[in-house]
Amino acid sequence: MPLLYVMLLGGLSFGNGFLPFDRDTVDLQPVEVYSPALDKFTHGQTIRRLDRRDLAEFQGRSLGDLLQERSGLFVRQYGAGMLASITMRGTSAGHTALFWNGLPINSPSLGQADLSILPMEGFDEATVHFGSTGALYGTDAIGGAIHLNKRLRFSQGHQVNLQQALGSFGRHNTRMGHAYSNGRFSSRTGIYHNFAQNNFPFINQAKIDTPTERQNHARVAQWGATQDLAWQIAGKSQLSTSIWWNHTDREIQPVMGSNTSDQQQDGNLRWVADYHHFGQLFSWNAKTGLIRDELIFNEASRNLVTQYFMGGEAEGKFGEAWETKSGVRFTLIEGKLSTYAAWENRLELYQSVNFRPGERWGLSLNLRQLVYEGNWAPFTPAISGTYALLQTESHQLDLQSAFSRSFKVPTLNDRFWVPGGIPDLESEKSLSGELGLKHLWTKSDFQWETQVTYFQMKVDNWIIWLPNGSFWSPSNIREVHNSGVESFVKGSKSLGKWQIEAQADYAWNRAINRTNVTENDRSQGKQLPYTPEHKFQVTGRLGRGSLSTYVNTHWVGERFIATDNVSKLSAYQLWNWGGTYAWTAFGKMKGDLGLQINNLFNTDYQVLRLRAMPGRNYQINLTINL
Amino acid sequence: MRKFTQVFRFCLVGIAFLVFSCDNDPGEMPRGEFEGGILILNEGAFGANDGEVFHFDPMLDAMNSDVFEGKNGRPFAGLLQDMVEADGRIYLVANTGKVEVVDARDFSSIGAVSTGLDISRSLAVANQNLYISDWGPYDENFNSPDSYIAVVNDPNGGNISRKIPVSSRPEGLYVQNGNLLVACAAAGKLEVISLNDQTVGSSVEVDGTPARFFEDGGRLFLFARGSDQVYFHEINRGSLGIQQTIAVALEQPTGIFSHDGQGNVWVVTSSGWPDYEDAIAKITLNSAQVEQEALYTGSGFYGLGIHPGNGQIYVGDNNGFQGNGIVIVLQPDGQLVRTLAAGRGPSGFRFR
Repeated sequence: MPLLYVMLLGGLSFGNGFLPFDRDTVDLQPVEVYSPALDKFTHGQTIRRLDRRDLAEFQGRSLGDLLQERSGLFVRQYGAGMLASITMRGTSAGHTALFWNGLPINSPSLGQADLSILPMEGFDEATVHFGSTGALYGTDAIGGAIHLNKRLRFSQGHQVNLQQALGSFGRHNTRMGHAYSNGRFSSRTGIYHNFAQNNFPFINQAKIDTPTERQNHARVAQWGATQDLAWQIAGKSQLSTSIWWNHTDREIQPVMGSNTSDQQQDGNLRWVADYHHFGQLFSWNAKTGLIRDELIFNEASRNLVTQYFMGGEAEGKFGEAWETKSGVRFTLIEGKLSTYAAWENRLELYQSVNFRPGERWGLSLNLRQLVYEGNWAPFTPAISGTYALLQTESHQLDLQSAFSRSFKVPTLNDRFWVPGGIPDLESEKSLSGELGLKHLWTKSDFQWETQVTYFQMKVDNWIIWLPNGSFWSPSNIREVHNSGVESFVKGSKSLGKWQIEAQADYAWNRAINRTNVTENDRSQGKQLPYTPEHKFQVTGRLGRGSLSTYVNTHWVGERFIATDNVSKLSAYQLWNWGGTYAWTAFGKMKGDLGLQINNLFNTDYQVLRLRAMPGRNYQINLTINL
Repeated sequence: MRKFTQVFRFCLVGIAFLVFSCDNDPGEMPRGEFEGGILILNEGAFGANDGEVFHFDPMLDAMNSDVFEGKNGRPFAGLLQDMVEADGRIYLVANTGKVEVVDARDFSSIGAVSTGLDISRSLAVANQNLYISDWGPYDENFNSPDSYIAVVNDPNGGNISRKIPVSSRPEGLYVQNGNLLVACAAAGKLEVISLNDQTVGSSVEVDGTPARFFEDGGRLFLFARGSDQVYFHEINRGSLGIQQTIAVALEQPTGIFSHDGQGNVWVVTSSGWPDYEDAIAKITLNSAQVEQEALYTGSGFYGLGIHPGNGQIYVGDNNGFQGNGIVIVLQPDGQLVRTLAAGRGPSGFRFR
């Protein structure tokens, strides 16, 4: 019966797992631990779940690497394993909201997340929600949102997983996991260690005669542990909790021409607990958790921010046409930073409604109001809908549209940093609209999915820091108009024993600055820096029996270096290849043996100017499942 | 026969033309691409290392951007702190720990000091040696207790042969009578290094935060600033001691200044919190007075230069480091002449 309740509430989603017992062929009998469906109140919006094999192939690497190579999103990477910040729909790094098991994990002090310290071991499923989604998720979701979730299952018995990877430039990754579950209880434990010396050769453009040198200050060491627990309670209720501790110790790779020897340690502790009660027509959930982020820069600068969460939401279904969700979230933020200390409380109320007036129609209305320390963030409504233009046995063609408002509360640093913080800064706010088509074509041995979305957005009150005398201060000064197209194609076909798949993303992003910050500024009407207008990626897969292989390429267009668009970085294209052999031994022992070659053609490239990136590199993976 | 003679004479003239055309008389050499006009020093943005030199040719009214990269096929890749010309070379000092040496005529690369430096600030040349002021590495509190003068025994660059410890944060350098004068900003000292034994011979405290040396009418000054005064410490060229100090009351001066060699000095002031209004003040050395407190106002003033030919004032505007900056050209009376597109953080000028 729990399965029924879960399906009533949000439908099942079988993501890939931390352990390889989450295979491609999914057994429908075991029940997953419930988590709210991300696409529940999002009719007409663009949501994409990353392929579970993509996640598996990036074990030991970070979310930043994954999104750069396997999506149309652009990640600003400051070197191998270094700071990685995302841009969605031409917005800034702080305009994408990140969630882990439903908790927002963007740093309240920095206003963004470093994707390079989110290793794949901390989640089983990554979902990208494109576009303005502040009404659904709260602050920061101006360009979009990314959700990282764990997935647990019941009735799986004991399982052990070991994985070891060795790669070029001093890379090695070790991972161990154990899981046990019966019909009422599920537990999974994982520990991992990732290390990369990153002593890759690069052409040092900063030196006379541009010699090829080895990078010598870019070592990354990472340790982490995860623990997930879940209980089925009386058939109609479920209690689950997850904890993720991650520690990253990095030498900060200097920009070419500099000889800095900065060090950074990041310690992140994330804990969440959920109680779900499922009813036929009415269900509710209570959630609590904490996010503790510590950043130590060169030992002297210590910055600790802790967020405590408490919230709940209730869902109801009224006939076949109406569904509603009402929720509240309270957040207490404690910041102890190197130059200031701050407390802040935030209260959010939100309401979602789904209406299906007919078989072809789906409409969603989302509303949210956030209040922080007595300040009212912009009220955030969003309406979206879908209409099925075509519905046949093999074709489904949907017209999709969404209009929404979003916001970003000024960060703690924006308001309280000493010197320069401005306490009465206003929230950044956006208005956006989008229109798209989604086509699904299915036959017995063939599936083809296409989605194209055109969007327009205006972001106002955009906060930027400007030099003011001997220090810098933030201002609500910039207005940016964004527009573009996102497209996504995925297809698969069986040819006898062969399975062929292809998947591609293309993004066209215009992010035009409408403001000059000074009289002599030459930025108005120009594309934002490090925001490529064009990016695409293509991944092709071929499999037969226990053997499979993939080829991936991604191309990143030119990026302007500064706001006035005078100079730019060249476009680049990288190719990656991998192959896997799935083996079985001694009856119950299974595993994978894989080889990956990244940057196949040893392309010399820079994501950001003068930040060296590795050339061709190799990685061998061995996985053992007991 | 007459026709042959004419041809013979024509050939002689041609040969003579070729011979004289190939004469190596330096006075006949074509001028280098950047030997005239104005070199603009663009510091670059922190973390981006996009410092560069631009060249403006007033005759052609043409701005040549990215001079170093354009000539050498690679970016400068550093934060450009100072530009020093000596013996046909230009030394581009990056505070990111390197010095590039280029031909003063066309900016083609000659050499570099690319290892061993930390936070290099300025450079002086004496006896075929390079002396580079360097703050040294920061300590845990971002102080600079291990500052030094790096010595390189080749005017074309190379390895550092010695580091002479000096007081905290050496900036401007000046060579006088076999001695190197060092302005130590954080320590507030003038130090003198004997170039014979390469040790600090004297170290005296001065009023204000010393920055750079300059010559005016044959007199040698050290510029320093306080919170509400600027100081012109005149140095005795014989004893190398401070002969007199001209203190001029000026509210909120910055370390950005320039002079015309005729007793006039221009200083950028900044009002600070909350308005951050910058201004250019004009000071007369002989009267020790501020002649004009706000010759021109604005914000983001980052560099200053006085054209020796026409007295025009060149102001670097950093545009809040949101993209590239501009150069504001003013008449001597402060009237705006024009603006020029510059690089990131225009911070200095060299008029050639």
